[in-house]
Amino acid sequence: MILAIIENAFLSLIGSAIPASAVVMLAATGAMLGERVGVLNLGQEGLIGIGAVYSVIAVLSWGVESPWLAMLIGMIAAAVAGLIFAVCVVAFRASQVLVGLALALGGIGLSNQLGVNRNGTPIQTLFREVNPGGVLDDNDAVSAFFFHDPVVYIAYIGLPAVLWFVLFRTRHGMNMKAVGENPAAADAVGVSVTGWRIFYSVLGAALTGAGGAYMVLSFTPTWSPDIARGRGWVALAVVIFAGWRPGWAVAGALLYGSMISLDTTAQARGWGLPFMGASDLSFFLSMLPYVVTLVAILIPAGAVKLGRRVRSTAAPAALAIPYSREER
Amino acid sequence: MTPLGSIASAVLRVTPWRLERRLEVEARRAALTRIGGAVGAMVLVGIVLLLTGRNAFWIFWQGLDAIFGRQRGIEGAALRAIPILMTALGVALSLRMKVWNIGSDGQFLMGALAAVGVGIHMDGPAWLVLIAMAAAATLAGAAWILVPALARAYWDVNEIITTLLLNFVALQLVTWSALGFWRDKEAAVIQSTREVAHTLPGLPGANSVTIALLVPLVIAAALWWVFRSTTIGYEIDTIGGNPRAAGYAGIAVRRRILVVMLFTGAIAGLGGMLQLSAPGAQAMNAGFSAQFGLSGFIVAALAGASFWGVIGGGLFIASMFYAGIVLQTKGLSVYIIFAIYGVILTGIALGEIAARYRVVRRDAADESGAAATEAAAAPQGAGP
Repeated sequence: MILAIIENAFLSLIGSAIPASAVVMLAATGAMLGERVGVLNLGQEGLIGIGAVYSVIAVLSWGVESPWLAMLIGMIAAAVAGLIFAVCVVAFRASQVLVGLALALGGIGLSNQLGVNRNGTPIQTLFREVNPGGVLDDNDAVSAFFFHDPVVYIAYIGLPAVLWFVLFRTRHGMNMKAVGENPAAADAVGVSVTGWRIFYSVLGAALTGAGGAYMVLSFTPTWSPDIARGRGWVALAVVIFAGWRPGWAVAGALLYGSMISLDTTAQARGWGLPFMGASDLSFFLSMLPYVVTLVAILIPAGAVKLGRRVRSTAAPAALAIPYSREER
Repeated sequence: MTPLGSIASAVLRVTPWRLERRLEVEARRAALTRIGGAVGAMVLVGIVLLLTGRNAFWIFWQGLDAIFGRQRGIEGAALRAIPILMTALGVALSLRMKVWNIGSDGQFLMGALAAVGVGIHMDGPAWLVLIAMAAAATLAGAAWILVPALARAYWDVNEIITTLLLNFVALQLVTWSALGFWRDKEAAVIQSTREVAHTLPGLPGANSVTIALLVPLVIAAALWWVFRSTTIGYEIDTIGGNPRAAGYAGIAVRRRILVVMLFTGAIAGLGGMLQLSAPGAQAMNAGFSAQFGLSGFIVAALAGASFWGVIGGGLFIASMFYAGIVLQTKGLSVYIIFAIYGVILTGIALGEIAARYRVVRRDAADESGAAATEAAAAPQGAGP
């Protein structure tokens, strides 16, 4: 009986964590894609905003009726922002940290400005949940665990699988890793470091934009200012936690997501502790996702330092270092 | 050469000039190009504003008038300059070592929170309470960066994300204090903590600016002296230049990183107390910081690692920040100001790169020489 309740609570916690951090998952995959070829894009927070606001504009102002098309428009907008970023840091070799922060700031500002007249307008063009033949009813924890909209499956299963396969099982992936680890060597065998870096940071930006689009087309589903609320930064943390391995990002995203849903669940059920009232507990729980994310980053590094054997979790050696043939 | 580099040199080939890398980049030239980048970015913003039907000149004039047209404007800018300068000094100090402290907003908030905690619970003469507040704020700011600093120094964990994540925690904690454990229960509408009874003494002739404005100047002077005349300053610069070489030279690199990061947090934390001790700002609420850390970061990026540059850049950004606040009442939204910050920061980053090149006139002898250099520069094995 008690076991069943715990099992149920766990399933429903993870069940609500999955959609809650699908955006983190998409942004983490996008960030990882860029970082694998040596480009650190700190602007994830801004890219989520841009992807989200352009999807909202597509639906509310341009009359787009397909959520997929709206998401594509959000992705294109984020890709354009990613292209500007990539040209600055890859072609002109400007500081990735500075331009990344600029993208974060500018993206948040621009998206908030564009969304200012659309605050709180409900979005009707939504992704539909996959529930084959209504096998399970909606309130079931098992159903909450398994059935989501298609983007969730793509984010948690499709993308990590594809990225894993490409990175670790194909020659193309070898080249990607070479560009991120030792660009001079990649250059010497005829891989265009500049081209690959620009291409994958733009593709990564588009994926992060898809995360923002998913937020407004399914999760919230409405525009509100500062829509990313730190999820972009969490995504960057998830990449570190995952040790730049696509599969592990799932664990990181779910960890963050369950902390978020712990807060909402506690609020909904009015949980309290003997020494902490419901409102105090809620404040406390709202800090928890960031604290847990911070601790999670420290785990791989700490494990290495404390002598545990961990498979390579180091950052790509050339991460955030501009490449120039003339100065090596 | 990058594709864009080839395009640029192809464009330049038809002109009598060409781009050349500088062997050495002077700090002063880099500072000038950074400023040039920032100004260029603002011109770009002005053009965009004009194109979207806003009168950029009017906005610029209104901004100038808002600051320099009256004493309140100058004081308003000076009041904003205090937190911006303090966070910027912290970031600039960490940049001397090539460490990015993006969490100065969190350290600033925690400093202010600690100061409020001491201020509303301690009885005693005003000077003693204020000193205790400053001490608590300094310690709280340092404590807030302790975990990222330890992780960076001893576990090589990148400090950018760790310091930044703590900003969110600090913001939640401040919200909690204002709405929860230190809430002012007598003022039911305003959601803030109780007010601290004491303020710092005002500057002579000023209505609202206190002696807090002198603190960042003193700290900048002290840091300038440390880096000019002491071994520790030299060691920190060495670590910033090449940490491995610094290690071989016998410098305790990890311990220096830890200590310097704690200092950057402490400076930002003290900034929180200075902000709190101004008349009218003696309580904390969720909007206490107004992203001062972010402005401070931009100032530090603009100034490079020069502490006097921080003072100049800080006064400039603070004026812009205050002009932005005034312009909000005239229809320019706070969101646009964020977007402008982003463009300016990009301009600074590009300006920094521009300092590494120069345009030189090509002549006949140069032509063959350049071709020879280019051939020599091509790595072995890259050619067909």
